[in-house]
Amino acid sequence: MQLKNSQQNRVLQFKGGNLTVTTLELMSDDCGQIEQELRQQTQRSPAFFQQTPVVLACERLNVPSLALELVVDLCRRYGLQPIAVRCSQEAIRKSALALGLGWFPPQNERHLQEVSRKQRELMPEPSKVVRNTVRSGQQVYARGADLVIIGSVNEGAEVIADGNILVWGSLRGRAIAGARGNQQAQVICQQLRAELVSIAGVFQVFEGFRFPREKNQPIVIRLQDERLLIS
Amino acid sequence: MARVIVITSGKGGVGKTTSCASIGTALAMQGHRTVLIDFDVGLRNLDLVMGCERRVVYDLINVISGEANLKQALIKDKRIDGLYMLPASQTRDKDALTLEGVCEVIEQLKQDFDYIVCDSPAGIERGAVMAMYYADEAIVVTNPEVSSVRDSDRIIGLLDSKTRRAEQGEAIRAQLLVTRYDPERVEHADMMSVQDIEEILAIPLVGVIPESSAVLKASNQGVPVVHDSGSDAGQAYSDMVARYLGDDKPMRFVELERKGLFSRMFGGRR
Repeated sequence: MQLKNSQQNRVLQFKGGNLTVTTLELMSDDCGQIEQELRQQTQRSPAFFQQTPVVLACERLNVPSLALELVVDLCRRYGLQPIAVRCSQEAIRKSALALGLGWFPPQNERHLQEVSRKQRELMPEPSKVVRNTVRSGQQVYARGADLVIIGSVNEGAEVIADGNILVWGSLRGRAIAGARGNQQAQVICQQLRAELVSIAGVFQVFEGFRFPREKNQPIVIRLQDERLLIS
Repeated sequence: MARVIVITSGKGGVGKTTSCASIGTALAMQGHRTVLIDFDVGLRNLDLVMGCERRVVYDLINVISGEANLKQALIKDKRIDGLYMLPASQTRDKDALTLEGVCEVIEQLKQDFDYIVCDSPAGIERGAVMAMYYADEAIVVTNPEVSSVRDSDRIIGLLDSKTRRAEQGEAIRAQLLVTRYDPERVEHADMMSVQDIEEILAIPLVGVIPESSAVLKASNQGVPVVHDSGSDAGQAYSDMVARYLGDDKPMRFVELERKGLFSRMFGGRR
């Protein structure tokens, strides 16, 4: 009973959470320049400047202090609502608190985050692996990745990859590598009897073609001087 | 536990119905209670090959739509005990088949039979999908020619995706049956060899049926060719079913028999 009462009487509650807030990164402490820039931005996207709350970030300012009052005033005039300041400078922190704004510590990890994001972009998607024969009428697509077929690609089947295509068996159907234009893409197979091979849009059909005899090493097809080179 | 086997091929005219009749008959000869279902609604044939076309009263569609019960529709084979068939309707089309209806029929048959052999129509449309959907196993009938092999390849792809087993993530056991095989023409490179077909389709081979005049004769007489134990095709079907049931039988009729001088002079073509 008591518990219920205490719940009913509750007036407020603290909750942690992540809010997405726009930060306004200041790269100059010149109020004239800031105003000019703000005016241009307002003209470009007026919808954005509708009492949008912003955090003023001062990490990239190499000055010990800032006329924060003037900057905040400018922001308000152009429809932004500064709610806090993020900085390492003690003077700016003090003037922020004096203006009734919040303060956040500078983001040291920001640089690290940027680096890891770049690394992620560099890291390719893992290869798509198909562990059986791709049969007539079936289509396999490896988006943004290499395609590995452990088996054969039969006539009437189609294998497509944005990267390379590797067939651990006979390629008898169609193979389309570098589907989004990667000219470095290659098609590799144990035995070549393909209907069609395409790399970055350069394709070849094999009508009346004398396929290379089976060797102990796989056959590699790549793009050279806008032509497919089979070796 | 009853097994549901679909006899399928993709391409028409390769010997699905002939094979279905002989496989079913051979299974029943081995003492397994067997029922054959003709899924070729609108192009009913299995009853002719089984020689019971004069006894068709009700059919699969009648049973599905509730106009007859299974007992009324099943036709008992006159030659072999424990062999029955459920004919297709000749006056309806494949749209009359429903997955629920087929499921109910097959579940009921499972109570009574060891093997339920489904004769698939040609093609990859509704009729063929209906015939394969509830199958536990498949026998893929292929002729030694490129178009038949490609169509079989397509059907194997469907078996791996459009059956209940595939939807439940279980594999369907598909086996290859090569029919109308002529070793002499293979020798002359007019015909694909069993090895070539096996390599492309990549499923285990369960039998090779030689091209034989006995097949056409048997079909026209309405007697499954497996009854003709003197014929090469009849023996090949017996072997195939024995192999299917787990016997280790060597493949016959695959190699060209070297003819002696006399048969070359006087034998002519078989």
